[in-house]
Amino acid sequence: MAYRITKAIGAMALAALAGLSAAAPAVAEDAGKTPFISTQNTRTIKGEQYIPGIWVDPDGCEHWVMDDGVEGYMSPHVTRKGIPVCRRANTCGVMNTDQFFATDSYRISKHGQARIAEFFRSASAVGYVIAGHTDSRASDEYNIKLSYNRALAVARVARSVGANITDVRGYGERMPVATNKTAQGMAKNRRVEILCFR
Amino acid sequence: MNFVKPILLVVAAVGLAACDPVGPDKSRDRQSVDRDDLTGMKAGIWVDPNGCDHWIIDDGVEGYLSQRLDKYGKPVCSGIAPPTIATGDFKGGSTSVIGDPL
Repeated sequence: MAYRITKAIGAMALAALAGLSAAAPAVAEDAGKTPFISTQNTRTIKGEQYIPGIWVDPDGCEHWVMDDGVEGYMSPHVTRKGIPVCRRANTCGVMNTDQFFATDSYRISKHGQARIAEFFRSASAVGYVIAGHTDSRASDEYNIKLSYNRALAVARVARSVGANITDVRGYGERMPVATNKTAQGMAKNRRVEILCFR
Repeated sequence: MNFVKPILLVVAAVGLAACDPVGPDKSRDRQSVDRDDLTGMKAGIWVDPNGCDHWIIDDGVEGYLSQRLDKYGKPVCSGIAPPTIATGDFKGGSTSVIGDPL
């Protein structure tokens, strides 16, 4: 017993010495020379680790899923920019707008209208979202308007054959799928996407 | 007196399920009675009062609900069912032991 106590006291003395010797030079150095970062405002977080699993929905997009015994939790897996992380896209049709529209126009020819109507007659989705896109030439504002008007023109044909169009959008040049530095890239970016939901 | 035994059994089962130490890894179904793989769960669709879709899963004791989003991150409001209706075969996780308690 006595041995144990002396050992403990010895250890404490050692620790105190170590503490002193460690603190002494720091104080001396800090005196006015080196910039001092305060450690006074650190936060202590009380928490418990929850490592999630991943569940993939029928659209192909990921969700965080956690099972805490009796409770279950789930939330969509999105990037910091709010874009869902998906293993495949539910885009069921991409129209190259060069085949349907003249430059700067949102009028669809009779032949183009027939092709779009045929697409929506054969696609058997519950609902559709139509999203127009352009390349990066002309102003952002102009491109938003043009892509929206083109999407509206496609939606009008789709609705005429009974398709359930739930949203029509114009993203302009803001969501490119290819580079705008080459002619091929720009042609790829000029498109109307049709999202299908079953 | 006849009811004491079943009640005790239920209490024991719930106790077992609740006191099972889970640990930080929450990626697996830890139920002692209806354990299964979380990645294989079958979802249905619940339509919220605004008409937008959510994935709904009944995995026995646990229930899950998560937003259905399109590739741009906007809610999908497909019109698959009227608002407040849940549709589809999403009770696949319920077992004969637990059934669907709620």
